[in-house]
Amino acid sequence: MSLASEITRIIDLFQFPFMQRAVISGILTGLAGGMLGSFTILRQLSFFSDALGHSTLLGLSFGVLLGWNPTAIVLPFAVLFALGVTYLLERTHLWTDALLNIVYSSSLALAVIVLSFTGTYKGGIHQLLFGDILAVHTADLIFCGVLLLACALYMGLTFRTQMLITLNEPLAIARGVSVSFHRTTFVVLLALVVGISIKAIGVLLISAFIVIPACASRLLCRQFSHHVVLSASLGAFSAVMGMLLSAGLNLPSGPSIVIAQLGIFVGAIIYPQLYKAVA
Amino acid sequence: MPEAILQVSGLTVVRDKHVAVDKVSFVVQAGTNVAIVGPNGAGKSSLIQAVLGVLPRQVGQVEILGHTLSPQGRLPNKIRDAIAYLPQNFSFDRRIPMTVEEVVGLGWHTLGLQWPWTGHRARQIAVRQALGQVEALHLKRKRISDLSGGETKRVLLAYCLVRPRRLLILDEAPAGLDLRAEAEFYQLLNQLKQQHGWAILQVSHDLNMVQRQCDHVLCINRTLLCEGVPEVALSRESLSTVYGPEFARYHHSCSL
Repeated sequence: MSLASEITRIIDLFQFPFMQRAVISGILTGLAGGMLGSFTILRQLSFFSDALGHSTLLGLSFGVLLGWNPTAIVLPFAVLFALGVTYLLERTHLWTDALLNIVYSSSLALAVIVLSFTGTYKGGIHQLLFGDILAVHTADLIFCGVLLLACALYMGLTFRTQMLITLNEPLAIARGVSVSFHRTTFVVLLALVVGISIKAIGVLLISAFIVIPACASRLLCRQFSHHVVLSASLGAFSAVMGMLLSAGLNLPSGPSIVIAQLGIFVGAIIYPQLYKAVA
Repeated sequence: MPEAILQVSGLTVVRDKHVAVDKVSFVVQAGTNVAIVGPNGAGKSSLIQAVLGVLPRQVGQVEILGHTLSPQGRLPNKIRDAIAYLPQNFSFDRRIPMTVEEVVGLGWHTLGLQWPWTGHRARQIAVRQALGQVEALHLKRKRISDLSGGETKRVLLAYCLVRPRRLLILDEAPAGLDLRAEAEFYQLLNQLKQQHGWAILQVSHDLNMVQRQCDHVLCINRTLLCEGVPEVALSRESLSTVYGPEFARYHHSCSL
């Protein structure tokens, strides 16, 4: 097969509405994940986002068991789970990673047990774990777009406050900032982004959308504001690249996007070294 | 009659079921430099944090620039903007990508709801002027993580003076600096105080500095044991009450 015919095939593929919805979904998730991810990694909440992703499987499994719409149950579950874990982290004297490990492994175990009571355990687990970005509906895109707008408005309008909280909490408290309010709001937004993206990306890969573009951006930026903008941009860019990779090589879409993110991350490690060597 | 910038009356703070500060009252007048001295665990930091509203108070009243601090620690934004605070240990994750210019710029903003680009030009000018005043303009593009301890303190002073303030609250601000950097820090602080007419409330263990630079001293050991001008508050008798007779003897023999 020649290169020209291969390109024509890929272009034809992107004429299908399901592919267009998948690309838009990837861009919206990439933007939201990258934006919140830039703060998540600096506040050392990466494992929190991972645990959140894994634990939403429990919400999904209850949805499957009760025959409810999974999206309708996963969002409130993710928010309640995030608030509950934040409460536990503040009230217990355990290490954050240890506590998160307990919570996420036990909710994963519970989810598998709940799924075993439904007929869908063997057939449906793959889709729950890895998602299906090609199956997103227009309603999902609208919800994802509204959520992205809400995140951008909140983070944009409180940007300086978020910077100060990330740098040094006592300085922020002394300026009259309600750190607990902002911390809770951030965690709720993160939970909503994770919850809404589960259908497309799956519980195992969603944390990659939060963490990898943000880490790549961190390696390339000196300034905080640049870091946030670049992280969101890399999230969207990697989604487009991943979809092209998926269409070109006929690979699963969600994992292809994560591989594109990994490629960008490796590039971000190599680029400064190359720049130094040349300069 | 000098203006009272800060008035504290009958302040009591309980931390972990233990009375950290007990019925402390004092006043900080405009343009004065007031030191809080006392042994470790005397409640100095708790006192400062309760004054700022960071720690809740059980009893008492705090009034800053004529506005009462609410029991939830709230103050009007314009009053908050008139206060600057430097904590005991300015610790931060050194992997955070933030330049000196960005850190100082955080002191300029009022932290309400606003777009990040609001007042960009005015902020840039104010930040550069503030960095110039602490002789740190050359550091503006450096990452905060690349600074030495002394440079970090200078940048934090620029954060304080990037907008007009009335009250500066320092909790052992030069902690971690070597003797020379500490002397430079106090010299710069004194010079800026003269220029800007700040009132300063600072916790310090450096009694020699307190003797030289402060106008008023509060000796604290949970409760206010004595106060007055340094000559009175740091007399052998007062220090003996606050720190114990051994320390008072040692300090006075070193000061002679």
